[in-house]
Amino acid sequence: MSIAAQRTDETGGQRTPAERRWWLRSLLALIVLIPAALAVMSYDSVREFLGNRDFFAKEVAWGSKARFGGSDWQLTDLRAALGRADIPPEVVPVLVDLTVTVGETDLQTLWLGCKVMLVDAAGRRWLPTAAVSFRQTDDAKTCISAIFSSARSGDVLKIRETFLVPKDATATIRPAIGVASERPTFLLFERPRD
Amino acid sequence: MFGGVRSKLKAWIVGGIGTIAALAVGGALGAFDAIQKPAVVLEPGQPVETGPWVVRPLRAYTVDKGVYGLPLKAGEKALVFEAEMTNRTAISSKNYFTTFQSTGGTDEKPFVVLVRDSTMSPALQPGLPERMAYVWGLPAGAAPPDRFVLAVNGEIYKQRDNLYGAPGWYNEHVIGTVAMAVGTGPDTPDAKP
Amino acid sequence: MMRRVANIAVLLVAAFLCYGMQTTTPHYADLTAPIPVYGKIQDTILTRTFDIAVDKVVFARTLKFDQFGKQNLLTSGGVWAIVTARLDAADRSAMVAAATWQGPDRLNYRTSERASSAAGALPIALDPGVPGRTRLVFEILPSQVSGATLLVSGKLAGPLDSEARIALGSVATQPNGLPEGVTETYELGDTF
Repeated sequence: MSIAAQRTDETGGQRTPAERRWWLRSLLALIVLIPAALAVMSYDSVREFLGNRDFFAKEVAWGSKARFGGSDWQLTDLRAALGRADIPPEVVPVLVDLTVTVGETDLQTLWLGCKVMLVDAAGRRWLPTAAVSFRQTDDAKTCISAIFSSARSGDVLKIRETFLVPKDATATIRPAIGVASERPTFLLFERPRD
Repeated sequence: MFGGVRSKLKAWIVGGIGTIAALAVGGALGAFDAIQKPAVVLEPGQPVETGPWVVRPLRAYTVDKGVYGLPLKAGEKALVFEAEMTNRTAISSKNYFTTFQSTGGTDEKPFVVLVRDSTMSPALQPGLPERMAYVWGLPAGAAPPDRFVLAVNGEIYKQRDNLYGAPGWYNEHVIGTVAMAVGTGPDTPDAKP
Repeated sequence: MMRRVANIAVLLVAAFLCYGMQTTTPHYADLTAPIPVYGKIQDTILTRTFDIAVDKVVFARTLKFDQFGKQNLLTSGGVWAIVTARLDAADRSAMVAAATWQGPDRLNYRTSERASSAAGALPIALDPGVPGRTRLVFEILPSQVSGATLLVSGKLAGPLDSEARIALGSVATQPNGLPEGVTETYELGDTF
């Protein structure tokens, strides 16, 4: 089968040098065009993939505020709640307190998919638990209930979430927060300094 | 020039014949579909295969008090229809809400309850027959009928459906109707085959 | 002449290839099926989001449990299978939402909705390093007891996510068709 080897076009004539030059140029263009087409086609999928996860950490030093999702976030407390009889001794309930100064008020858009997390040195991540709850003495909200609190600009909200963490992780856990409007970036707070 | 016109004419004629043939075939098929098939009358107490289910209509009765854990307000009445149902498929399923349909005189949608322990519309397990109760509310002031006519619907299995290529049960259609004598109260006996 | 024969040969090969590709195209449902992770009873099976180890399987004629302060007795036309398992999240908080008892005849029994309010029923939220447990209750045909597989997954419909498939082994049967060692009444207590 020597059909492809003959340098003839479909009318049987030889290729002119100009045609040959363009043929080569087209071939070379494919090297750029095919990856470009793949990139364009997969752009939405990649964006969706990254938009669903907390990927790039933005460090926040202890005591400082960070702008995130249109508001200013600050870690105010990270503490273990010991002495619960209904929890096995190797597991520790951990409470995280965040103080948020509301900036832009459209929380239902900006804070959508709001997720407070704990991240330890090994990269393990904990989400808030529903297995334990503590009686509250103040008006602390969860991140989700804060969304529907119709807060105004300048309001200061207290957000508290409860976690269940094994004892061996308590030495390195750091609170973090992610919202859909900022993903894949998320805030990673420094542990409280004494 | 004239050759071009002639070939165009030829193409038009061939295309026209094709279109007319397609329309004729489509129309004929549609006409076949539109022919009213005689309604199949099913016997109470006899098992009927609907595709995903084997059903056996057992009894129908009216109640003026709550039944199988379903509350009923004072003055309200409900029509209860009970059937034995066996899941013929290979997976637990609650695809039974439209298997029996009231042909009139009741509310549109029934509550479906497992008679065994009054669980509201649980999934039924493959191969395990269960007695199910369909409970229709009766409109205020309506007299309960002597005979309750139900449509029994079936579905066909498709290895792959047209939209997702997924296997499943599709094309719900009426298999037949069953007329149940309506008793009073939950002591009504089952229909004997 | 040679050219024509070659062309026809190319055409035939192309048609054959196309036919082959058409008949061997995987089903869409298979392409998006869960990704199985196999194991057997007592093994710890590591899926993408959670670890599971089946402790034991118990069979019973009836179930007893308290619901809203009222005692319930659940009878069955078949037999109840109660599976207890240990769970752990992989490296982040996860859910376990669906379990299926797949009998030797490939009949699939989802966890019974009649016992879904008992302690240990799915869905279960897991945290890394915090041991979790589940108690799965199935209502099955006695013929599907021996040689069954337990399928456990993180989501109710989990395309392209891992699914634990645990071989539960063979169970001896009594002459009446019920499994050996079946208990009359199993109590679904708060601890298990």
